[in-house]
Amino acid sequence: VKSDDALLRSSTVLAALLQSGELSAVDLTSAYIERAKKHARLNAYITLDEGGAFAQAEAADREIKLGRKERPLLGLPIAVKDQLDVAGLRTTAGSKLVDYVAEEDSTAVSRLRQAGAVILGKLNMSEFALGGSISHPFGVPHNPWDETRQAGQSSSGSGIAVAASLCAAALGGDTAGSIRGPAAWCGVTGLRPTWGRVSRQGTWPLAWFFDTIGPLARSVQDCAMLFEAIAGQDPKEPSSSRRPFRPFVPGDGLKGLRVGLVRQSIDDGASTDEVAEGLVHALDVLKEAGASVVDVSLSLFEHCGLVCGGLSDAEGAYVHRHRLRERPEDFDFGSRRRLMAGMLITAQEYAKLSRLRMLVRRDVMDLLADVDVLVTPTQAEVAPKIATATGLTSKEAVLRQFFGSRAHRAVFSLAGVPALSVPVGFSSEHLPLSMQIAGRPYEENTVFQIGHAYQQLTDWHNQRPPLE
Amino acid sequence: MRDLIPDEVNVQLESQGLRVLDEEDLAEIAHRINALRETIQALEMPDLDGQEPLNIYEDAEAQS
Repeated sequence: VKSDDALLRSSTVLAALLQSGELSAVDLTSAYIERAKKHARLNAYITLDEGGAFAQAEAADREIKLGRKERPLLGLPIAVKDQLDVAGLRTTAGSKLVDYVAEEDSTAVSRLRQAGAVILGKLNMSEFALGGSISHPFGVPHNPWDETRQAGQSSSGSGIAVAASLCAAALGGDTAGSIRGPAAWCGVTGLRPTWGRVSRQGTWPLAWFFDTIGPLARSVQDCAMLFEAIAGQDPKEPSSSRRPFRPFVPGDGLKGLRVGLVRQSIDDGASTDEVAEGLVHALDVLKEAGASVVDVSLSLFEHCGLVCGGLSDAEGAYVHRHRLRERPEDFDFGSRRRLMAGMLITAQEYAKLSRLRMLVRRDVMDLLADVDVLVTPTQAEVAPKIATATGLTSKEAVLRQFFGSRAHRAVFSLAGVPALSVPVGFSSEHLPLSMQIAGRPYEENTVFQIGHAYQQLTDWHNQRPPLE
Repeated sequence: MRDLIPDEVNVQLESQGLRVLDEEDLAEIAHRINALRETIQALEMPDLDGQEPLNIYEDAEAQS
């Protein structure tokens, strides 16, 4: 198998080719590094670790030649968001304010290595994983489907690198939608796991109550493979769940499964017409696969962006309070304004937001007692043009453009449930459309089952941006 | 509840040891906090006070 052809394939296919010896880890790593350099203008990577990646790939090839094939990701080149520490590599968290070489791997990276992965490098991101960054010290991320467009925040580089085949798969971080948003706008598959499923040890925090680490990849099966490698209790993080999980085994069809369409996510202009139509067509495919689809109502939906944003901003402001006081000029201006506003949220407001959050969780759990999954579009609109200003020149603009646009993803962050974004087609401007599938806590496999069945009947996840 | 005017926002930030870099920053920070305050204030529902704010972690803790 030629490595240049291979690098466009899914991780599950690549893992099988590597294990069988039909493809060498060194050749595949080399092909991804060359492609990442060729498309450096996309600004996907902050650090490309050529030397380290080749050493890991050579070791993987030696292991395969010895017939030791038990590690599922052996030789697979994976890149990680610069929010996670990788031993020996620089961590920046996407900010001018951070620059150190990590002494230890974060737990998620350590588990990727234990599974045999080759760590290619560190990926670009919005400053400190906040959404709303305008300037990016390591280059403005460009959407590979249209380089004048945004790639989504905050795991921008992860979305770009997977879509443009600059790595086999990637890790991102998701607080209020930072895996799912870039996955949606870049046309790839991304999972926010159940809160507590994947350790955040060694990861730059934003909002402890919401932060999660998860995969972005070319297919649902790829995401499941990475998720299984990184999930599980971590003695270094007391809040990580001890609940065991079963490997994902694709089933036949969706007969007997109930899908709830959250009407508020597409009604009354909550999503653009094209985005809403994309979701409705995707639901037709799920029906074809045997699922039943019902309308459901989530009355607090429109406020979820504000509730999640308010809590995250207060938490983030606490995390960065010293930097805000000492070096405000070194922040991106969008991040700085967001965090300074977060400093002004009162204890009374925080207490109320915390209770509103639990109302959202209660309502989501009530719905999930009647249906197996809930679906919405992942993003309310297709990827917009790259911005040079925040545009938040009034209260109304803040509510509409900032908090309002985040409701689709924030609702499931508030509920702490797993949510998967899958590509479901293209807009009239050939920009990716997406569907979000959210399930009960710790039922990632149900979410995978539905996403996988959809991808068995469609080809959207196999589409690649026309890069030259 | 009335909106905070930029001068009041500035005083509150200064009281926390923060300095605003320019008028544009101050105006946007004021829009942001006023939007949050107004919406939070307006969101009233009868069952809100009965909600425990942290029970999302019960599952993880139950396993430990």
